[in-house]
Amino acid sequence: MPLTHDDVVRILKIIDESDYDEVHIEMGDVKLHLRKGADNEAVPIERPAATRAPQPSLTETPRTESAAVSAPPKKAAPDEPVAEGLVAIRAPMLGTFYRAPSPGEKPFVEVGDKVQPDSTVCLVEVMKLFHSVKAGAAGTVTKILVENGSMVEYGQVLLLIEQEAVGGGK
Amino acid sequence: MTDKHGIKRLFIANRGEIAVRIIRACRKLGIEAVVAISEADRHTLAARMADRAVCIGPAPASQSYLNMPAVVVAAKGTHCDAIHPGYGFLAERAAFVRLCVEQDLVFVGPSARAMEEMGDKLRARRIAEDLKIPTVPGSDHVRTVKEALAAGERLGYPVLIKASAGGGGRGMRIVRAPQEAMDAFDSASAEARAAFGDPTLYIERYIERARHIEIQVIGDRHGNLVHLGERDCSTQRRHQKLIEEAPSPVIDSQVRSSMARAAIELASHVGYTSAGTVEFIYDLDSGNFYFLEMNTRIQVEHPVTELITGIDLVAEQIRVAAGEPLSVAQSDIEAHGHAIECRINAELPDQDFMPAPGTIVRWEPPVGDGIRVDTHCYPGYFVPPFYDSMIAKLIVHGRDRGTAIAKMTEALDSFRVEGLGTTIPFHRSVLRHPDFQENRVTTRWVEQELSARSKAGRS
Repeated sequence: MPLTHDDVVRILKIIDESDYDEVHIEMGDVKLHLRKGADNEAVPIERPAATRAPQPSLTETPRTESAAVSAPPKKAAPDEPVAEGLVAIRAPMLGTFYRAPSPGEKPFVEVGDKVQPDSTVCLVEVMKLFHSVKAGAAGTVTKILVENGSMVEYGQVLLLIEQEAVGGGK
Repeated sequence: MTDKHGIKRLFIANRGEIAVRIIRACRKLGIEAVVAISEADRHTLAARMADRAVCIGPAPASQSYLNMPAVVVAAKGTHCDAIHPGYGFLAERAAFVRLCVEQDLVFVGPSARAMEEMGDKLRARRIAEDLKIPTVPGSDHVRTVKEALAAGERLGYPVLIKASAGGGGRGMRIVRAPQEAMDAFDSASAEARAAFGDPTLYIERYIERARHIEIQVIGDRHGNLVHLGERDCSTQRRHQKLIEEAPSPVIDSQVRSSMARAAIELASHVGYTSAGTVEFIYDLDSGNFYFLEMNTRIQVEHPVTELITGIDLVAEQIRVAAGEPLSVAQSDIEAHGHAIECRINAELPDQDFMPAPGTIVRWEPPVGDGIRVDTHCYPGYFVPPFYDSMIAKLIVHGRDRGTAIAKMTEALDSFRVEGLGTTIPFHRSVLRHPDFQENRVTTRWVEQELSARSKAGRS
């Protein structure tokens, strides 16, 4: 029973209006894991379909129950090894990651965009102080690793850029 | 909302052994622990033990552990209910307490107001004077060398120049004669400005043969305030404590109860909650005690009190912060036996205690009945150069002081550390010394002893 776009929007609306912090939905091959972000809007995080017996189930994590389920991952933001030729743009400070200059505006960059060393790729905000993060390299954005509005740690990898070959044209 | 739900997840804004200590208390209480780490602390024991470690900044403390916005955003971002500041760093910054409150985070410690009243040393002195608690004869602010000289004249030399915003021995200078006042004043002022952002100084009469005796207090938000007896921290070098013990072997029960009463009066006057320590100077020659200052945080040496009373002070702090009443009444608190703590630092005692960071190749702390080791170290751990040099606290408990000394001696002998210089040999030599064993140690003893040894070495 496939989920339509409308279904997802309706589910998000229900979650948004509820008191729940986090919701896991498994319907057929689709697993949705939703967690309310820093600005209290439900942020869908789609996971690749797992091969399981198709049983619709809905598990809720009401605010009053044990915080264990919404426990953040155990390790510090991973110091992932970055593949050669890729430049990792890291958070210069701990804070909240924003992809756009302000809510509702277009993100600074999308996957596939070309950037220059002084292109702003995102913002990190700490207590209303916004810091522009620059690409630091010329190339193409290949991956955006962090959800808009989520907290990032100092040094956490935010984006990956495939560096232009040296001597490459602008 | 914390009063209804309690604290479920605690953010630890500190590092090293105290971060490990707080995590242990969290485990005991069934609370999740999230710890702040700097880039240099990714591989610490606290990071491994916590439910989550959050990297809040690069190695320098000013950009990480002292970075208030980063700490608060990290705590909020991981959905913590409360913050424990440990000791040092942000533990006694009223501005940080206010920021936590503003951000709806419970601060594990006293109110900002109580912290400010006691944090300003001169103000604390005035409060003590108003309560008729004896204070070391002293001055108000001295703004100039001229004022310093006038105070010295009035109080009688030797005097001690102290920083009003200070602690930990910084911004302090002994002045034995008027000729020394100018240099002492200038350097104390500069040091105070650098360390605390405030060059304000005051002057006290200097007591030649002093013991440092402090009273542990703890209060809750239901109006309960108790004391857990004293600790004697007279074995110091440059105003940094090296060895602490409980109970104090030099005071009688009358002095003990007078000090405790004074401590409770003072803490009560500022509506003190959570753990705190009221410090006194005990003049061995006169038998008088004087209020020195109050520390509005959990102290490094809290384990000696825990071992003689059986009370978990850090767990109690967390419970109090969650709005619960103290788990003990004054009448429940009893001291049993004797406890001694040695602060083991990665320093070379023979080279003027020069810090000696490095990688620990071998790490075998002593174990046994009545032996407790509070540490963040483990074999293979790289002790970084960015923070203080304490690598472990070795605490022992025995049925009396003699037993405790023997146990500590044995424990120091069996503490095997390789890869770093440590102060273990220094502690061994103190424990062996007849002055320590026969209670002739004063707050200047270590420096006098080291000076005598180095003179002997040179002759």
